[in-house]
Amino acid sequence: MMTAKHQNRKKVKDNDSELIQAINSGQSNKFHDLVKRYEQKLYNFSLRMCRDPGDAEDMVQDTFLNVFRYLKDFRYETKFKNWLYKVAASTCIKQRRKSKFAPDRELSLDEFRSQDEAEVPSQVPKWALMPLDKLLNDELSNMIHQAILSLPEKYRVIILLRDIEGFSTDETAQILGLSSSNVKVRLHRARLYLRDKLKGYFKNDE
Amino acid sequence: MTSDEHDHKHCLEMFEKLSEYIDGELDQLTCADIEKHISNCVACFSCVETLKRTVAICKGVKEKPIPEEFAQKLRDIIQGLPNKPSAT
Repeated sequence: MMTAKHQNRKKVKDNDSELIQAINSGQSNKFHDLVKRYEQKLYNFSLRMCRDPGDAEDMVQDTFLNVFRYLKDFRYETKFKNWLYKVAASTCIKQRRKSKFAPDRELSLDEFRSQDEAEVPSQVPKWALMPLDKLLNDELSNMIHQAILSLPEKYRVIILLRDIEGFSTDETAQILGLSSSNVKVRLHRARLYLRDKLKGYFKNDE
Repeated sequence: MTSDEHDHKHCLEMFEKLSEYIDGELDQLTCADIEKHISNCVACFSCVETLKRTVAICKGVKEKPIPEEFAQKLRDIIQGLPNKPSAT
């Protein structure tokens, strides 16, 4: 039977492993291929983390430079993508300290609970039932983008990693160095916050 | 049963767990408890559906393409990197 220590050392092979080995063995021209794979995803993650597109570009650039710098230290103990987002999240936090962003505040469950108690629905709102493709348009995309940006950072990063980038609770916890239960608590509050924004947005349609 | 008639305390207990419920992260017993509750409570059922829709909207938002100028800048920076990543 494998011990927990052994399991921790287990190497994770994914689609990026070969490329990373090639880069680390001197084929640095292949780093461009790695960047190509992730630049679009990382750019969008950064746009959603930062208010300013210029800051988002800086974040992408710094992340890739940090990835190049520390790629030798990558131990294949996790998927490369998870490690990349760990570097990105850490780069972003450092960068945000230098810039102006939404203030970090706690979201309390009570503020969402009390709103729900005040307006107990007699039926499910239309926006939650109609086909998603009929609902999604540029205006709604822009609205949700702004709503995500207005979330305090510690909640925003969680909703981005979980609901937009598709990481699991445990992966998100690992990327951010948090406990899984902490990720779950923050995710629920972030979703409730966005749900309230959507309720406001669709108020006149009901 | 209407939302006014049933045990409101139960709604509050459910409320904390709804994201875990929609993510399939709860044990069977708790899931069954929630399912039983939302089948009788419009408020909690609505909360589940609006939360699910919130997640679906987040997942459905399209990505923006990376600006070509910025992509070129990245390529230029990468070209200027040394042959091998340095070990720390």
